[in-house]
Amino acid sequence: MTSLPIPMAIELRGLTFRYPTGRVALDDVRCAIAPGERVAVVGPSGAGKSTLLMHLNGLLPMPSVATDDTVQVFIQSLGVTKGRLRDVRRQIGFLFQDPDDQLFCPTVREDVAFGPLNLGLDQAEVLVRVDQSLIAVGLPEHGPRNPAQLSTGERKRVCLAGVLACDPVMLVLDEPTSNLDPRARRQLLEILRRFPGTQIIATHDLDFALELCPRVLVLDGGKLQADGPVEQVLANPNLMERHGLEVPWRLRAV
Amino acid sequence: MADNSPVVTPIGPCDAIPGTARLALTLLVIVVSSLIPLEHWPAHGLLLVVVFAGLSLAGVTLGYLARRLMLFLPMLLVFGLSVPITQLHRESAWGWMVSLWLRCTISFLAGLWLIHVLPFPELLATLLRWRCPPLLVAMLAFMYRYIFILWDELARLRQAREARNFGSGSWKRDWVTNAQMIGLLLLRAMERAERTHQAMLARGWDGSPKFLGTEARKGE
Repeated sequence: MTSLPIPMAIELRGLTFRYPTGRVALDDVRCAIAPGERVAVVGPSGAGKSTLLMHLNGLLPMPSVATDDTVQVFIQSLGVTKGRLRDVRRQIGFLFQDPDDQLFCPTVREDVAFGPLNLGLDQAEVLVRVDQSLIAVGLPEHGPRNPAQLSTGERKRVCLAGVLACDPVMLVLDEPTSNLDPRARRQLLEILRRFPGTQIIATHDLDFALELCPRVLVLDGGKLQADGPVEQVLANPNLMERHGLEVPWRLRAV
Repeated sequence: MADNSPVVTPIGPCDAIPGTARLALTLLVIVVSSLIPLEHWPAHGLLLVVVFAGLSLAGVTLGYLARRLMLFLPMLLVFGLSVPITQLHRESAWGWMVSLWLRCTISFLAGLWLIHVLPFPELLATLLRWRCPPLLVAMLAFMYRYIFILWDELARLRQAREARNFGSGSWKRDWVTNAQMIGLLLLRAMERAERTHQAMLARGWDGSPKFLGTEARKGE
């Protein structure tokens, strides 16, 4: 008896993307990420990390016709096309780099409720999710506050609460530790450790990647340059230097 | 980050008035002031007294009021002067101008009273209860949120300018820099709007605004 293959959480089949200016942002990126995997995406600025993440959520132009030949991104075996965006976005929670881009409601509670309301949940269920998400990120009392009154770390956690309230299967995080102080960074790390689903994290914080993700993808010039176990890839000084990165202190030979 | 919120907790007797009544009162003052005929000066004066009394009860300080009026009155002055300039042949043009000044000032002060006694989220909830179009309420909500962000952005631009200004003292150069800053702010606002739209799409935005019910808003 042969067992059925487990569907991949994310599959990129030669993902290529060119901005309207003509610049190639992604060039034939191929990889597969299993359910529950935590994968870091690292690389220099302009490598295409954010562009790659946005493709996972269908936030950039994509083919409108759903054929296996034209679709380059698959989420849970579901090709990301215009017609399937709603289904795809239900499964993926996207945390943006700048929390001010993501917090657009006048109060924290309304902002966290934004996703669940759009999912069509009833008010009672939305409220439960809002409370649970704010507890999960350690901000249960912050519901009535204006996001403008929060620190960067708190705003980032509210953003994460807004994402968690949609009950996603996987998280896609763009520079989650940027502008965070060590305590806020630690809190974020603990929250992400508790999340059981798949996580894709684009980051410049290699220590964060090392702590959280067993696997890393190195992206440079829009191409996938390396894909492997985080301690092995990040400890390779030649590879790191070639792509504008540095071996983290923890992995440097004494 | 500094909190630039103009909203303060209602103070004193204004607390006793329900949110809906506060909004209704403000609209009433604005409508009445617009409808009072030109020649009924005492009625305009009476409205002005009522609005000042309301501001006083709300705990608005004279300094705050003066700063806000300093921003508003020059614009109103220019706007009002356009009436006699364009209506030279009419005898009542000067009266119209004064009437316009008075009506606008009363409306402005009434609005100032409202933002002091009615927290913005509550104002939005009231508008929804009044069956105001949800899209309009959503736009007001975004505006309220992003005013602070743009204000912070402007503050950072000004700091960056001051850091490299070295006391040039040239008003001409200052004007050029200010114009460039406003242009830059507009561009940044547009870029942010694009990113925010993406963030909304990522959380299921389909173009139709949805809000928490009244029960859920309790405690805000």
